[in-house]
Amino acid sequence: MRRVVLTIVVTIAGLVALLSFKSHLPTAPSAAVSTTGGTSGTSGTGGTPASSSSPATVPGEFPMGSLAGKLTAGETAVTGHVATTVYGPVQIQLVMRNSKIVKVAVLQQPMNTANDIQIGDFAFPKLISETLTAQTAKIDAVSGASYTSAGYIKSLQSALDNRA
Amino acid sequence: MTSVARRPAPARHAGAEAYPGQRPPAAPPRSGAAHGPRVRPRAVRPQKESGRVSARVVLAVIAVGAIVVIALWWRSTPDVSGLGGWLTGAGEALGLLAGYGVVVLVALMARLPPLERGIGTDQLTRWHAMGGRYVVSVVWAHALLIVWGYAVQAHTSVTSETATLLTQYPDVLMATVGGFLLLGVGLISMRAARRRVRYETWYYLHLYTYLAIALAFSHQFADGAAFVSNLAARFWWSAMYLTVAVLIGWYRFVVPLRAFARHRFHVIGVRQEGPGVVSVYIGGSRLDELDAEPGQFFRWRFLTRSMWWSSHPYSLSAAPGKDVLRITVKDLGDHSRALARLRPGTRVFAEGPYGAFTATSSGRGVVLLAGGVGITPLRAMFATLPGRLTLIYRASTPQDVVFADELDAIAAARGATVHYVIGSRAELGGDPLSPRVLRSLAPGLDEQDVYVCGPDGMASAAITALRAAGVPKRSIHRESFEF
Repeated sequence: MRRVVLTIVVTIAGLVALLSFKSHLPTAPSAAVSTTGGTSGTSGTGGTPASSSSPATVPGEFPMGSLAGKLTAGETAVTGHVATTVYGPVQIQLVMRNSKIVKVAVLQQPMNTANDIQIGDFAFPKLISETLTAQTAKIDAVSGASYTSAGYIKSLQSALDNRA
Repeated sequence: MTSVARRPAPARHAGAEAYPGQRPPAAPPRSGAAHGPRVRPRAVRPQKESGRVSARVVLAVIAVGAIVVIALWWRSTPDVSGLGGWLTGAGEALGLLAGYGVVVLVALMARLPPLERGIGTDQLTRWHAMGGRYVVSVVWAHALLIVWGYAVQAHTSVTSETATLLTQYPDVLMATVGGFLLLGVGLISMRAARRRVRYETWYYLHLYTYLAIALAFSHQFADGAAFVSNLAARFWWSAMYLTVAVLIGWYRFVVPLRAFARHRFHVIGVRQEGPGVVSVYIGGSRLDELDAEPGQFFRWRFLTRSMWWSSHPYSLSAAPGKDVLRITVKDLGDHSRALARLRPGTRVFAEGPYGAFTATSSGRGVVLLAGGVGITPLRAMFATLPGRLTLIYRASTPQDVVFADELDAIAAARGATVHYVIGSRAELGGDPLSPRVLRSLAPGLDEQDVYVCGPDGMASAAITALRAAGVPKRSIHRESFEF
């Protein structure tokens, strides 16, 4: 019995030690994104922070693949660069009308594992609705999807830079 | 201490007189050549050091493997952030350890000769039982942490995440079935340890482990972050599983089948040694090629209509001969009772020899300490070990003593000593195997090698006493037949 308790304690202690080493590694993406956290009020469209006022989106429903062929009159499509994350590439495309972002499509997303896809399904609708509200790349990362968020924001920023 | 019968050699024919109530030995089986003492003992060979590995080496290899597995997790994990990250990270690390652990557990039971001879089946079985409980727990901790971690990351409930995992994630449903099978096998083994299920039930349900491992294999590559984008990891991981599968196929199936064809094991005769104790003489050809040593055992499967489907480990109770082997079994269950009714000529499927309870070539004196039916392997060693020999034979009643005639004859022939310690604790007025008693029965005990075989309770108590009597740990050799 004592051996059982000892084994459990050692296993848990080992896991905690292992994970805490990983969690203290200084990694760039989430830090870079977090600097935009205080700027959620800068857009002219709405007063409330983007992350809490997102219109209800059903997870998993967001445009995937290029919208260039489905544009209506007055719309232009701008494609962002591919942002590479540790989980895989992220690339987005903006549909602009009167220099406003009206749609965001995801061209590439991490999909190595089913979990990557599940995280994307959850994160992209939030990121897109934040983008439509903020109309800039200064949006909050989605918690639990910091790498995907960072990739999205990078690709979004490059698309906005390209739009001129 | 009247009931401690001491018999310094030479002592002859003392058996029947000293133990009123003991049945005279039954007539030998038809083939007279197979009578116990006449099984010609071969000179004991010096222990083959090559082809054996020590426990320390095996444990070190297992630990290094675990470190490599953790390194694999480390490489594939960018960082750990938030509650979801912690839970998922822990779940992934445990999943990898579980996938590695099942391979280790199966490999320990693959009848690998270096492990069987170097560490011993009883020790391997203890490791397997301990490790099995651990790995089943790790499997389930992995499953629960992944569900919880994914649920936190995706901001959903645990129930809906469970459904998502089972239905949307590739091969997770299959792996879950495997997890339940492993849990079932674990629970059955715990019941088996408490003797609430039959040996055969336990044995055959254990085979579901292979199915469980096969079911869980593919989800590792389909869902595991450590494997999806790492071809080398997939290759080596598959190679590990494949290697162990081949070893099992070879050592558990091919080798015994070839031995069956080559040696043509068959029953020569059965002899009643005492109440509820029978010896079975098994003949065959070229048995010397098996390299069996006194103290080792085989797994026997007697090919009769009622017994062919179960195999049981029994020690050799006489030194292996060129064309005959002998086992002696105490009536402990249905199977051992059925042995008494075996007919000569019955074919036998034998796997072995197994066991690390064999002579070491230290050149020092040797003390054999037998409890009850634990006498069987020691009886074989008593005839063959070189040098100064003392046998201490503990039994609770005179009726339980078997081989008294043989032991006395061997003792007389080679000038060895046999002490019979008979009677219950109360009758003997104290601990019959206390350090003081042991030292008086075997003078110079602390400078000799001691071989202990008996029921677990007796053996553990005896080892404690031996340590107290000053025998170093490395000089004590133990065989447990309770596996």
